[in-house]
Amino acid sequence: MSSRTAKASLAAGLALSVCALAGCSSSSGPAAGGGGARTGNIRVLANITPVLTKAYYQGLVAPFVKSHPGVTVTIESPSGTNVQSTLQQELVSGSAPDIVASTLDPVVAQQMIAFPDSSWVTSTPLSDSNKVDGKIWQVATGQQNQSLVYYNQTAFQKAGITTPPKSLAEFTADLAKLKGAGYVGLQTAGEWVTGAQFSMMANPGLLGDDPGWYAERNKKKVTFEQSAYNTYLKAYEGWIKTGAVPKNSLGEKYQTSIDTFLAGKSGMFVMGSWLNASVNSAKNLSFKVGVFPTPTADGSTPKQMSGQAQPYSILKSSKHQGLALDLVKYLVTDKSAVTASLKSEGNFRAGYSYPGTELDAAVGKIVDTAPGTVNGTAGPGVNAGFGNELNTVVQSLYTGESADKAVAKLDSWWNANAGQ
Amino acid sequence: MRASKESTARPAASGAAGRSARARARRRATTADIAMMAPPLVLVAGLIIVPIAIAVYLSFTDWNGFTSPPHLIGFRNYVRLTEDSAVRHAAFLTLLITAVGTVACNVLGLGVALLLNRNNRINAFLRVLVFYPYVVGAVILGFLWSSILGTSGAVNAAVGAKHSLPFLSDPTWAVVTVICVIVWSSFGVNVVLYLAGLQTVPDSVIEAAKIDGATPWQTFWRVKLPMLAPTVTVNVVLVVIGLLRVYELILALTAGGPAGETRSFVYNILTSSFDNTQLGYGAAQSVVLMVVIVTVTVAITAARRRSEQAVAA
Repeated sequence: MSSRTAKASLAAGLALSVCALAGCSSSSGPAAGGGGARTGNIRVLANITPVLTKAYYQGLVAPFVKSHPGVTVTIESPSGTNVQSTLQQELVSGSAPDIVASTLDPVVAQQMIAFPDSSWVTSTPLSDSNKVDGKIWQVATGQQNQSLVYYNQTAFQKAGITTPPKSLAEFTADLAKLKGAGYVGLQTAGEWVTGAQFSMMANPGLLGDDPGWYAERNKKKVTFEQSAYNTYLKAYEGWIKTGAVPKNSLGEKYQTSIDTFLAGKSGMFVMGSWLNASVNSAKNLSFKVGVFPTPTADGSTPKQMSGQAQPYSILKSSKHQGLALDLVKYLVTDKSAVTASLKSEGNFRAGYSYPGTELDAAVGKIVDTAPGTVNGTAGPGVNAGFGNELNTVVQSLYTGESADKAVAKLDSWWNANAGQ
Repeated sequence: MRASKESTARPAASGAAGRSARARARRRATTADIAMMAPPLVLVAGLIIVPIAIAVYLSFTDWNGFTSPPHLIGFRNYVRLTEDSAVRHAAFLTLLITAVGTVACNVLGLGVALLLNRNNRINAFLRVLVFYPYVVGAVILGFLWSSILGTSGAVNAAVGAKHSLPFLSDPTWAVVTVICVIVWSSFGVNVVLYLAGLQTVPDSVIEAAKIDGATPWQTFWRVKLPMLAPTVTVNVVLVVIGLLRVYELILALTAGGPAGETRSFVYNILTSSFDNTQLGYGAAQSVVLMVVIVTVTVAITAARRRSEQAVAA
């Protein structure tokens, strides 16, 4: 038996033991915001990134710790490939943290407390759209907007592009112009980036007029083949064929793709508003970065694919639920903490503002004028793993797969995985 | 030993009494044996047998790793395995990596061991150099080679955009790259094992072969290699087991891409279990992998044993 299999099996064994000991209860522990000691150590499993470092989180919670004698907060980074897999492993080994600071799939919701129906909870960004069984189990400090195209203004000038494209047709034409001017038209990368960029572009088309599209897909009333995804996949296939998006893009890492864009080698880069932080901190940029909303099929202004930024959940298994709730309330309501959080990644929240750059203001304007928001490739109604599958399918366009086959693969995957 | 002492101490004992004493002695010996074996038995049961049993149980459930309790769904996960193109591709790739990697690691390992089988300072340094990749973590090596072979990596930067090579972006190139990096990072341990094996070949036998007029090739083929047979078995089994569960290096080097083309079987198990939160399905894949590893290991060992016995005869 392989050691990995043995470890997985052991973890599973522990999980069953934990489950049996806990009586597999979904309602154990004190009520949200209720009991629990008001002193002790709170363990926070956080999504650590180049921006959201351990030091960042420690600084964020420092005022709370200072004003709560006897309370300590330990920031833990994921030991697995990501926060959710780490949480899964910690749950089965019986050492789950008190708080998780990361976006999680709804499948985890049953392990989390339902936040109280208070105004401080309901007023957090996108709290409604992420409800599971009518319960808010994640509260965020802000909102990320992702249907954005960052562009190199110098490249646009050299390519003779005077106004940013609005429709897919204009976007395609501009990619060709950028290539003609010696630039990589659209910067992308391998890893998770390819599929994420695609969903940032195509999700407003998929979900803009029908927020319940995924639920309808689960009932087999709609298909990917007849959806906006097909239109975008066909467009993407064309971009690869004409060389506007280099075939060897998948050999890039995410960070390299940012570096390449900031080095001025590519014309456009589809990315979430968190890219502002990288652009703002870049030194000696040889060009000015602009931003516009992702193109739509008909040229209309798209809804923004949005996600909760820096969300927090509290584990049912936490022995410090009351204290954990106090800490989460502080993190999502304290003006200084929220502002610091928003500023760290260029995020947004109604009623909050912070001094930003010209680029921050440009993104803010797009957010303000967007006709609404749509979800990403995870959330209520979306089968776990769909984001990964979408990424694989979009990447298959680079390896010679046709858009028709790619969209058929999506339908096939969904049929096989629905309700798993 | 204990029984023989008793029989010499009481030679006049009657037949029935003697049998009874011997039986008591056997029972005491058995009890002592069990007492001594208990700790390792508990460890083996706790760390191997019980987890395997639980993994097998989970493979018949739809458990997602979070909600509970797991629901039994019969053989559905196993049926799904046969229909899942991602699993089939991962299985094929893993077998390809294992087949090519096993041959390459052993041929390279033995070849380099033969070159380094003389004790001097340069060889000592070269041995360390060859073994070094094996010591460094697979994830670090993956990222290192990714930065060397990526589209914007050192090699492509050196050759320029016009001659850019798709080491990690083209499916065929990516598979070849993955196999090469895996072999490069793994064969150091084979070198060490073959070196150890070569040290056991008596100088007198080699001298005798030389006196008999054997060429270096004949000496290797007819003398050294047959005597290295047990080492070859160990090396082949180790490499096969290692390659059947290759994962970390691929994660860091290609993240399974492009388009899932370099996703190995274990990579797929972890994707199913954690990314797709289908732990039951992942457990079914783990059970299949476990069966394959045990079968292949037993088969190789048996085949090599027969071969060694044939040589000895």
